[in-house]
Amino acid sequence: MVKVEFFGIYRLSYKMSSWEVDAHSISDLLKKLSKKFPVFTYKELKNSVIMVNDVNFLHLKKYKTKLCDGDSVFIMSPASGG
Amino acid sequence: MATKLGAYAGKVLKINLSDQTVSEYPITDDDRKKYLGGKILAARIIYDFIKGPIDPLSEENVIVVSTSPLNGTGSPSSSRFNVSAISPLTGILTSSNCGGTFGLSLKRAGYDAIIITGKSPSLTYLEITENGVKFNDASHLKNMLTGQAQQAIDGKSGKLVIGPAGENLVRYACAVSDDRAAGRGGIGAVMGSKNLKAITAYGVMQQPIYNADKLAKLKKKWTKRLKSHPLTGKQLPMLGTGALLSVMNQKNLLATKNFNTGKFEDFRKISGEEMAEKYLVKNNGCITCPIRCARVVNLDGKNIKGPEVEIMGLMGANILNNDLKKIIEWNYELDELGMDTISTAGTIAFAMELNEKGMWDCGLSFGKVDNITDTLKEIAYNTTEVGKKLAKGARELSKMFGGQEFCMQSKGMELSAYEPRAAVGQGLGYSVANRGGCHLNAGYAVVLEGLGLSVDPYTTRGKAQLAIMFQNLMEGASAGGSCLFTTYAFFPFFLMSKPNSIVTKLVNFLFPYFGPVIKIANKFPDILHLNLTSMLPHPVAITYATGMKYKMGDLMKAGSRGFNLERLINTKLGISQKDDKLPKRLTDEEQIKGDKRTKVPQEKLKRQFYKGRGWDENGMVKLSTLRYLGIDKLDDDPIYTRPLEEQGVVKVIAPKSIRKSIKKHIGS
Repeated sequence: MVKVEFFGIYRLSYKMSSWEVDAHSISDLLKKLSKKFPVFTYKELKNSVIMVNDVNFLHLKKYKTKLCDGDSVFIMSPASGG
Repeated sequence: MATKLGAYAGKVLKINLSDQTVSEYPITDDDRKKYLGGKILAARIIYDFIKGPIDPLSEENVIVVSTSPLNGTGSPSSSRFNVSAISPLTGILTSSNCGGTFGLSLKRAGYDAIIITGKSPSLTYLEITENGVKFNDASHLKNMLTGQAQQAIDGKSGKLVIGPAGENLVRYACAVSDDRAAGRGGIGAVMGSKNLKAITAYGVMQQPIYNADKLAKLKKKWTKRLKSHPLTGKQLPMLGTGALLSVMNQKNLLATKNFNTGKFEDFRKISGEEMAEKYLVKNNGCITCPIRCARVVNLDGKNIKGPEVEIMGLMGANILNNDLKKIIEWNYELDELGMDTISTAGTIAFAMELNEKGMWDCGLSFGKVDNITDTLKEIAYNTTEVGKKLAKGARELSKMFGGQEFCMQSKGMELSAYEPRAAVGQGLGYSVANRGGCHLNAGYAVVLEGLGLSVDPYTTRGKAQLAIMFQNLMEGASAGGSCLFTTYAFFPFFLMSKPNSIVTKLVNFLFPYFGPVIKIANKFPDILHLNLTSMLPHPVAITYATGMKYKMGDLMKAGSRGFNLERLINTKLGISQKDDKLPKRLTDEEQIKGDKRTKVPQEKLKRQFYKGRGWDENGMVKLSTLRYLGIDKLDDDPIYTRPLEEQGVVKVIAPKSIRKSIKKHIGS
């Protein structure tokens, strides 16, 4: 399972600080998130700042970044500096 | 009327507390055009009074409380006013911006600014109305907390008061208006040294607007932009400035354990998100502000003002405290006692490290929170030896006990919560800021380097120019009367709302390379003879409000004039390049061991900054720079030597048709 933590407007909008999901990539995670909690669409979530194990996913493989069991993903508001 | 411009009250008062006399001060419309208002006008006034170093707590010091042209015009986020004086914390100029109602009330009473000199023989409060100034006995307000004192003063007036800390000359005591503070630099102590407990202002005067119709349309558009911007429309209203804390932690920007590192393990427990979920009652804002970044929180059944990100970081991560409730409690207590939250927190963190290193047995330790509440009172009331020493600020402590290399201050002012080794442009700003280690006067480059955009935080390329540009912009916006958060909307929406797009990545990458272009614009702002109304509505609003033809370049030039004028005052007070520095921890020690990028390359950045500013190698403003900014002959023209009649010769700049509109407005 991947541990997802929400920050900024996401945490307030989802009304939860974390969520656990079985996802194999960031793209997969965002799709599952938008389906399970349709507060934000997949397209909207693509504009969030995403950190995988403390590294901005832009420095990895963006939406194709692979996720493994035990990985930590932060999803932060867009206006948090990319 | 003493001004032919719209939006100004047209009158500045000089109040001498020693002999209780009041006179009008001869500010002209030429001054208003050059120095706008707020902190820049205050610097121009103070320049004439300061010949060399003074004891800031003596009656030689001068306090200038100044409003700005946009105050009272209903422009978004435009109720800010300024208080300037020579700081007892730093010994140099300080200017504190405040969002309370006092500024607006002062203007309604018919005054653009007041200059307070001398010292009252006993505790007094000033009552300013359209009819003049009344000197009242304030013995019944003695030692009152700021909230109590405001309640004790009757009436609908705007109030500016000090608490026990100001009366007891704590060097970082602040002045409070409503629940907002003129926080930094010890304005409260200067008021206390003059036996001035409070100032109230009341009036119903409405200044005429040069072009009320156009200003109304602009205000509508401006408000809409602020409300739809990701930062000012969503993040700040929903989470307040506390929203930044989690981001700061992720980017190694959260000062932790007296700036030993930039990450705090327990950041979640002291974050803006935590505050919103557990304590937030509603958001709040200054008059006319659509952003509404202030927090109202519930603490044990009582609704009080919530903390800002700076104290959340400095009284949280920086002292290894993970109890948000304590931070809320201390924040409230500090406002009531009348002490600057940033300097108090920075001084306490330094004392903790001194104690940890065995250099001062003060009883304060990292992670130990049970004695902090008492310590705050000991500082404010000067009741213990430890409290008395802490009341002098971190720099004075380092003179007593050593530890300069980890004393987190610049020019005597404690640094804000942003760890600059992960944002070197911010580090440069801290070292060259006029009031000392202030994140705003620094140019707030950290917004580009991680909090808003993601420009490479470690490169030195272009950083000096970016710092200068944002210093000028913020000086100008502040002097105009706008909250600095309105300058956030300067950045196009997509850069903030689409951080992962190729365009945003490209802009982040290219930003430092714009340095040479920005350098030209910084040196010769006149070339920006245009207005980009959607990005920077401030000069357009000033034009519509006052009738002065302000363009983007004029605002930047006024900002540059202000920054250089403040530097001139500071150089009279002994400041030079030797003082533009950070503690060695930040310049010589890597934040992340083994990563050479993670320290502030201060000397290199400073050289670039001086060149960009038009200063010499010793940090003195060059004559050519002064000449370009029109402040090279100030010594030949002290304002106080001018006859008041001079105001009558100022030319009306409004065309006939517009003058008619002003007349019509006055008539209505």
